[in-house]
Amino acid sequence: MRVKYEGVSFAYGSTEALRDITCEFGSGRTVLIVGHNGSGKSTFLRMMNGILKPAKGTVYLGDVPTKEKSTSELARRCALSFQNPDDQLFAQSVAKELRFGIDNIGADGSLLQPIIETFHLGEHLGSNPYSLTYALRRLVAIGGSSAMNTPVLALDEPTAGLSIREKEYLGGLISLLKKQGKTIVIVTHDLNFLLPYADDMLMLSHGMAQFCGRKEALFERGDGRELMRRSGIRYPVYARISAALGSDRVCFGPEEIIDLAAKK
Amino acid sequence: MKILSFQSFSVSYSADAPPALRNISLDVNERESVVVSGLSGSGKSTLCLAAAGLLETYPAVKRQGVILRHGKNGSEEPRTAVVLQNFYAQITYLRSTVLEEIAFPCENIGLSREETFRRVGEAVEKIRIGHLADRNPLELSGGEKQKVVLASAIAVRPDLLILDEPLSQLDPETTAYLGDVLTELKKDMALLIAENDPYLTLKVADRLVVLDEGSIVSDGRTETAINESTARYLDLPAWTVCVAEAAKKGLIRKEPASSLYELDYRSAIKMLRGHG
Repeated sequence: MRVKYEGVSFAYGSTEALRDITCEFGSGRTVLIVGHNGSGKSTFLRMMNGILKPAKGTVYLGDVPTKEKSTSELARRCALSFQNPDDQLFAQSVAKELRFGIDNIGADGSLLQPIIETFHLGEHLGSNPYSLTYALRRLVAIGGSSAMNTPVLALDEPTAGLSIREKEYLGGLISLLKKQGKTIVIVTHDLNFLLPYADDMLMLSHGMAQFCGRKEALFERGDGRELMRRSGIRYPVYARISAALGSDRVCFGPEEIIDLAAKK
Repeated sequence: MKILSFQSFSVSYSADAPPALRNISLDVNERESVVVSGLSGSGKSTLCLAAAGLLETYPAVKRQGVILRHGKNGSEEPRTAVVLQNFYAQITYLRSTVLEEIAFPCENIGLSREETFRRVGEAVEKIRIGHLADRNPLELSGGEKQKVVLASAIAVRPDLLILDEPLSQLDPETTAYLGDVLTELKKDMALLIAENDPYLTLKVADRLVVLDEGSIVSDGRTETAINESTARYLDLPAWTVCVAEAAKKGLIRKEPASSLYELDYRSAIKMLRGHG
């Protein structure tokens, strides 16, 4: 399902959070939203499933404007996992937490088992989520949202607080959902880990869209590096290594770098 | 001089769960920065809570062994400040501006108005949040809140600053300059930082402690602590990952004595270019 923002603005009281955002994510794309702290990333994401509605402009999920639907109707189209997992978790057990979204919207639960396996949550199903480590709580929160099997999935900082082991599990989930044709929209600061999984990027600065399009297009632009710098984004380390190795094509992950080294 | 000393310290959260920390012996010295890394569940956060003296507030938590704390100038307790993993919980909900929020702990320890004013200004400048000064802390984004809590901790000028995953919600630019800020702070205080970000570790850590399932598996100078035996517990720098992978595939010929884990960016690039 495609996601489209048309001239979207939003303010919290007198604080402007988003200004006149226009962008579109195609169906089945994986999109990274990046930008400095306070640039509007989480606000953008909260608009995708109608938790927030635009003050100006329109957000479309597929062909449906979010303004015309209730949050519960939108929940069938887009599931959102919060920045702070503790804002999301409340059930008595991990199993109940993972099932909550599915039962609530009457979703097809066929993703639940693959998610439990991908996240290695099997041994924790009987545990109270709050007895788990922060990283596992985050996986449970992401798992519960993903299991709702919505065509669009929004994740806010999914790698924050994860060690490399859980990051790999998350990578596994993204690959799994991609194969199912889901549109995945991820707010992140962790470009080094997530760029290999991404198709597109949206870069925000002070509530305005600085770039929206294929990730390669950002790196191919003459002013791409400068744009990133102004948005609080450091040039991703694999891109830096590929440049240092004299590659004319930018690399996003270690596999590409190894291929490059093999050709030397 | 030692400021904090764990001696055969163990922690269990409940009788049927495996211990969260097992027989930890660890010293943190004045003006020393110690980074603690390890997989999720390895005990990093428990170590931070214990170091901050916060575990004592949970009667159900079973502890064994001792933690000794030594304040400066012969005082009994070092002044300790902590930024928790769940820093959202540290916002006071009592103050309507960021400046007043940061002033709160300074007032709590009885500093004069002038001194509080001076330290708040200093902390705001260090963490670069001048633009947030008059905002309501509750209206800030996640990353902005994390910066405010960090500024509050710095403002009291602790002898020991404990940070549990301080970079989790910070943008990459902030992450980069925070490394410089912590290096500067280290001149005046000891740092105990639970963090898996290898770039921060390389920049800031005098020592790297690696935890696995509650036990210390390695404690040493950062350059030597990242090696074949600890790598599986750690996030490695990108260039280190590339060199290690290339070496495994036989793309890089290495001297038998040298480590697969090249931590220096320039040397790693040289190797990948085929000149290493």
